[in-house]
Amino acid sequence: MLFRMIKGALVRQWSKMLLIALTIALGASLATSMINVMLDVGDKVNEELKAYGANIVVKPKASSLLSEIYDVEDEGTELQQAWLKEEELGNLKTIFWAFNIRDFAPFLNVSARIGEETVPVTGTWFNHHLSLPTGEELDAGVRSLRSWWDVPNEDWIDEQAPGAEREIMVGTALAERMGIREGDSLILTGTASEANVTVRGIFDSGDSADEQVWAPLDLAQELAGLEGKVASVEVSAITTPDNDLARRAAQNPKALSRADYDTWYCTAYVSAVCYQITEVITDSAASAVRQVAESEGEILNKTELLMILITALSLVGAALGISNLVTASVMERSREIGLLKAVGAHDKAITCVVMAEILLTAMVGTAVGYFAGLGMARFIGRQVFGSSIDIKAVVIPVVAVLISLVTIAGSLPAIRMILRLDPAEVLHGSKA
Amino acid sequence: MSKRRMFFRMITASLLRRRSRMLIALLSIGIGATILAGLVTVYVDVPRQMAAQFRSYGANMLLVPSGSVLTQEEADDAMALIPEEERVGAAPYRYEYLNMVRRQQSFAAAGTDFDQVKRTSPYFKVNGRYPESPREVLVGKGVADTVGARLNGVMELTWFPPSTQEEDQGDADFDIRPGMTLAGHAQGYGSREGFNDNPVYVTFTVGGDGTIASISVDTSSETAGVGTRCSEEAFTDLFIGKKPKDLVLGRDVDAVSGATVTSAAVVQAIADARPVTDESAALVPRTINYAVVGILETGGEEEGYIYMSLDDMGVITGTSDQLDLVELSVSATQDSLERYAEEITASGHATARLVKRVTKSETAVLGKLQALVFLVTIVVLVLTMVSVSTTMMAVVTERRREIGLRKALGAPDSAIRGEFLGEGLFLGALGGLLGAVLGFVFAQVVSVNVFGSDIRFNFWLLPITVLVSMAVAALSCLMPVRRAVAIDPALVLKGE
Repeated sequence: MLFRMIKGALVRQWSKMLLIALTIALGASLATSMINVMLDVGDKVNEELKAYGANIVVKPKASSLLSEIYDVEDEGTELQQAWLKEEELGNLKTIFWAFNIRDFAPFLNVSARIGEETVPVTGTWFNHHLSLPTGEELDAGVRSLRSWWDVPNEDWIDEQAPGAEREIMVGTALAERMGIREGDSLILTGTASEANVTVRGIFDSGDSADEQVWAPLDLAQELAGLEGKVASVEVSAITTPDNDLARRAAQNPKALSRADYDTWYCTAYVSAVCYQITEVITDSAASAVRQVAESEGEILNKTELLMILITALSLVGAALGISNLVTASVMERSREIGLLKAVGAHDKAITCVVMAEILLTAMVGTAVGYFAGLGMARFIGRQVFGSSIDIKAVVIPVVAVLISLVTIAGSLPAIRMILRLDPAEVLHGSKA
Repeated sequence: MSKRRMFFRMITASLLRRRSRMLIALLSIGIGATILAGLVTVYVDVPRQMAAQFRSYGANMLLVPSGSVLTQEEADDAMALIPEEERVGAAPYRYEYLNMVRRQQSFAAAGTDFDQVKRTSPYFKVNGRYPESPREVLVGKGVADTVGARLNGVMELTWFPPSTQEEDQGDADFDIRPGMTLAGHAQGYGSREGFNDNPVYVTFTVGGDGTIASISVDTSSETAGVGTRCSEEAFTDLFIGKKPKDLVLGRDVDAVSGATVTSAAVVQAIADARPVTDESAALVPRTINYAVVGILETGGEEEGYIYMSLDDMGVITGTSDQLDLVELSVSATQDSLERYAEEITASGHATARLVKRVTKSETAVLGKLQALVFLVTIVVLVLTMVSVSTTMMAVVTERRREIGLRKALGAPDSAIRGEFLGEGLFLGALGGLLGAVLGFVFAQVVSVNVFGSDIRFNFWLLPITVLVSMAVAALSCLMPVRRAVAIDPALVLKGE
């Protein structure tokens, strides 16, 4: 009998039920899309912020102890510079947070002569192929770390193309001063050897690199006779904004309690990633580039907070909208409820029937709304970030619970109010 | 009773009598209007607020001298071309090389204004504090590690005149007259052996009889404990009372044992000395002790510098009001930045350059964030408005019986429609007003919590919110009414 009543109500009052289902679907889709976007916005914005370049710099540890050596060598002999080993760079992809390392590139600054003039030459990887001992293959290079450079036609040096080892790129200021043009052949004379090179392109960086020659790392090493050596490494990593624990850890990780240490080590704080890098590269000191790392955290936090508040507003809006409509639809049926009561139905039974109808409608609405919401989240992700928003399964129970609570909160008090009234009055239509 | 009064009475009566339903309708419109006003206010103000956040990446414009030197006045004139409210900070920098003679190393030092640095480079992490009084320095971590400088320690820095000016020793034709001050320098052990480029400096005054009356020797470039003994009085007093011309070491004065090269340099410097004029007064090396009050950590190139106030830099170099660079942090879009840079460069006060790394990345990221808030606003608004109208429709559909009854009593369709329209407009206006106020409150809460500053209200939004609410309410009222009106009243009253 119960089912028949519910079925009857749903079939006969389909247009009203459709309206409820529609509103609930709207609310559910709003909740689904906003929560999904909110949960993923941090990662997405973090990716975007990689445009500012590397947030970690790795340098040889010994260079900070250079002074000690210098003190001893009073006779002005050449300084013994410390280096990182090029062959160890692949290790960066073996640390705990390897997946968070977006890109990295080594740097070696040497000087060379073009004709009479001495110019600074920066050796680096542009699009270097690495085969790790783990069997992983990857390409790393400076392109994504210098996203603000203007390179005509995005025509960077590509080490994987033939002949790239004898190509250079020249900064616009230097090129202008020396009259160097794209495609020119030059002779670079380094301290150890000289090389015939062709100019692949002229770049505009807007900073001091405009006065430099950029060359593949191998070429720079050869010019200075520093085979296999690297002066610094820039790493672009996706990190979590620092909190108190991260700041304490940055002082001295060893001073943390065991539990804190584990939490810190297993969170992608920039200090934790730095620490892990120093573990895999011999005699290195990794430090956060604060200009990038600090600002990144700041902006991430603000964006996430902004999205949380907007989401909260739209959730409250959706919730109020749904419970409002449900209340209205229950009150609309006061006559029917009064009649049921007049013919002797128990309050409990009436509540059950009405609630069952509404909840059934809500379920259908929620299901439709959830998928519509996924579509909307995807749309936002594609439009704004050019990649889909990660769909989190946790949203399903959240939305389901939210909608059921809101529906119950909207209908139960209304049903009770009508039940409290005298059926005669309700049927007469003078109350409510 | 006039027709108009009847109209109002019907609307108010229906609103009053059907309190609970109307409350529901009002609430629903209010929610819609709140979301509209709140989100649009946030959307309009977010770019400005976010742009301010992006200033934490530091300076996005540099002023460099158009000629050889940039004065504070020129920099101020150039900056005046940028609206004041867009200038977040402007840190002047003057770079010089200062030496730690004991370590025979020289470091890049920057004179600046720390109040401005805090604004243009908010990412600076200072262990200790920023310098506040004279003779205090902030030392980059790189420098501190290299020389072992400690917080609250003392750092002795020496400024040497630039070597290009040294070449110009002035006119060699002059007579030594009483009361004259002369200064000269010569290559000592340090510069001969390549420890550093700095010579031995001698300054002396001439007494009434044409002999040296007082003398001071700067041997800070020499080997500590050996050559430096030549600046001690035991040696310098030997020169007092001697004629400055044609001194010979070993005949007129005895060399300090073990420091023959330095002693010879002192004699040579006296022989080469030229009268000191006001201009050349600047060209005397100065050594000053500074208190290290802070160690700077940035992870970038800044760690290789020593920072002091512009005044301190003026004192140690003897010249002031020369800037090498002004770092500007401007809260503006890339287009306006480019325009400002062009205007400044064209004005001739200074040459403005954009820091591409900051401006280009900012444009990219900020654009995405704006697009995000825009899309979210659109999605939320559309959904909310649809939900508002479904609620309104439900409330109105319920009154089909009433419509049928009135129609049966002979009311024309237009009157019924007009009445419901009036009701909808009234609810819309009230709900819109309520929502606009609540929406502004929401926007303010967001702004204070997220950005820590007040939101900028757009007062046009108030009438817009009210109008949109009225339109949505009226539209969603009319649709079900139109349907109810179209049906035969008998059918409606029967409840089919």
